[in-house]
Amino acid sequence: MYGIRGIQLSQSYRHYQVLKEVSFEAAPGECYALFGPNGAGKTTLLKILATLQKPSSGRFEMMGHDGIRDRNRVREILLMIAHGSYLYNELDAVENLRFALGLRGLSPATREIKLALDRVGIGAFADFKIRSFSEGMKKRLSIARAMLVRPKVLLMDEPYSSLDERGMKIMNDFIRESAGQGAAVLMTSHNRVQSAEVAGKAGVLLQGVLREIAVKDLVAAHELF
Amino acid sequence: MNFFNVIRWLAWKDLLSELRSRENISSMFFFALIVILIFSFSFSMDQQTAKELMPGIMWVAFVFTGIIGLGKSFTAELQNDCLENLQMNPIPRGAIYLGKLASNLLFMLIVEVILFPLFVIFFNLDVFEKLPLFVLILTTGTLGVSAVGTLFSAMTVQIRAREVMLPILLLPLIVPVMIGAVEATGGVLRSEPISLYRQWIELLIIFDVIFTIVSFWLFEFILDH
Amino acid sequence: MIRKIRKYEGWFGATGAVCIAVGLYFGLAASPPDSYQGEVVRIMYVHVPFASTSMTAYGVLTVASLWYLWKRDPLIDNLAHASAGIGVFFTSGALYTGSIWGKPTWNTWWTWDARLVSFTILLLILIGYLMLRTFIEDKERESRYAAILAIVGAVDLPIVHFSVEWWRTLHQPLSISQRGVAIAGVMLYPLILMSVGFYLLFTYMVGVRTQMLYLKQLLEAKKGRLLGEVHL
Repeated sequence: MYGIRGIQLSQSYRHYQVLKEVSFEAAPGECYALFGPNGAGKTTLLKILATLQKPSSGRFEMMGHDGIRDRNRVREILLMIAHGSYLYNELDAVENLRFALGLRGLSPATREIKLALDRVGIGAFADFKIRSFSEGMKKRLSIARAMLVRPKVLLMDEPYSSLDERGMKIMNDFIRESAGQGAAVLMTSHNRVQSAEVAGKAGVLLQGVLREIAVKDLVAAHELF
Repeated sequence: MNFFNVIRWLAWKDLLSELRSRENISSMFFFALIVILIFSFSFSMDQQTAKELMPGIMWVAFVFTGIIGLGKSFTAELQNDCLENLQMNPIPRGAIYLGKLASNLLFMLIVEVILFPLFVIFFNLDVFEKLPLFVLILTTGTLGVSAVGTLFSAMTVQIRAREVMLPILLLPLIVPVMIGAVEATGGVLRSEPISLYRQWIELLIIFDVIFTIVSFWLFEFILDH
Repeated sequence: MIRKIRKYEGWFGATGAVCIAVGLYFGLAASPPDSYQGEVVRIMYVHVPFASTSMTAYGVLTVASLWYLWKRDPLIDNLAHASAGIGVFFTSGALYTGSIWGKPTWNTWWTWDARLVSFTILLLILIGYLMLRTFIEDKERESRYAAILAIVGAVDLPIVHFSVEWWRTLHQPLSISQRGVAIAGVMLYPLILMSVGFYLLFTYMVGVRTQMLYLKQLLEAKKGRLLGEVHL
């Protein structure tokens, strides 16, 4: 069984084809890092996997569930950390977490929430409105949300963007921890150094075509992507 | 059980945000006030015509205000891409609809309840013994507007020119609500026997039931491909 | 499917044209003037077919929209889109001719009658439908949202009709009632001919438009594939 598996995924918009028969797989406990220049189709691929868009052809599976037919099953096991933080500006950090978890039928104890906030280093801002949060703090809050949900499939769109060095370390520790618990992780990234620390597999998406690349060559590779 | 939890969480989130920012209700209230003032200036009414025109003016003000509130309802979900998060969550779509409908209905009703005494004062109305009837007409009329409005608000928020498209699509469809609400309100004000305007209240109730069900069912197709 | 449309649409168009031509001759020249309304009644021969065709157009739109939400066939969506566009033409026709008929018979261009109001709302929904489609980037989402609007409109229109009818009724009863034929045979035959002609014309127009929309989409997709290759 694969954690995440894409089978010849293609996506075309009105005037151009964004993805061309992209196939890849990541086993449970494995982290797949996806590189590529802006506009290569990375975010489109993530949106398809997150069940937000329907591919024009091809299919995908998560933990053995078909992503299109068994959409709701897939939604139960996946979580996405994206550019948008999915936070409500008028609510504070704890309330936002309660809301996000409440939608999934989870109601963790306040102690647990506080603990997660402490782990991502924003425990002191627990009752601050999101309006006053910086992008990096929002990202850290997203990590806390993922810690509490414990998804089996983790999708991340540029997880390191807007994080400081300590934040990146927290992110990588969290990825390692989730992978250790058997979660499959797929991330897009522009940060080869950080991604190479956690990734077991890597690929480059160029003009919608995916090409795999060895993780050990990532940092040394001279190409720009 | 998660179904009702989702409704509760969404309504809780909207109410709490509104309590903190007071953005929706205050802008709706002042907009309605201005609509009423403009109407009174442009008709230069004597006491008698004022009473005849008052139900129409009142409902035009309420519906325009409602459109402001409905437009804001889903724009709030756009900040930090929260709408995407709702889409990805394994929650019944109908519950999202009912949760948003509940908060939209509540905001509109709050504004109407604040405005209603102003009508009583400006137009010198005797309403006290008929208050329950007024409450019934207000609730059923407002539910009709927000049942269709919540559906269209979710739809127009994801397209271009959304501020224009919401009223363009919504207003023609709620003609029956306008007719029913204005006629029923007029009937109560003129102290007619209830048998003369009972059919209008029934029309409002029928409209509410039909469109809550239809929108509840169609909402799934708005969020999911 | 598109080939089939292409093969038969010409017949629909040609037969429709013949029916309308013959119907017009009988309606305008051969049939007698009405005993109450005089020569004015002749506008009925275009008004009634316009009105019934526009309702059919909305019917096709509704069924196609439901079908699209169920099966997600892009060709059905093109059919719905075409039907709405052609529907705007027939609905405006019905409103114009109705207005021209109304002036001499009820001495007003416009009255708040149930059928007039519901046809106006019908026209507004159709125009809103076409506007909505132009404001959405994503093709799949465009089809989906348009279908939702069409279905909500289909549920709404009867309610609009009944509520306005309760509100104020001025209109004369329908000329052809369901109980039996109320108008004379000499007037009925041209009316039937014209109606059949209009339906055939409608089928032809929708067929052509569906094809156009389908081919346009195909062209865009092909262009996209070519562009993709050039980029590589």
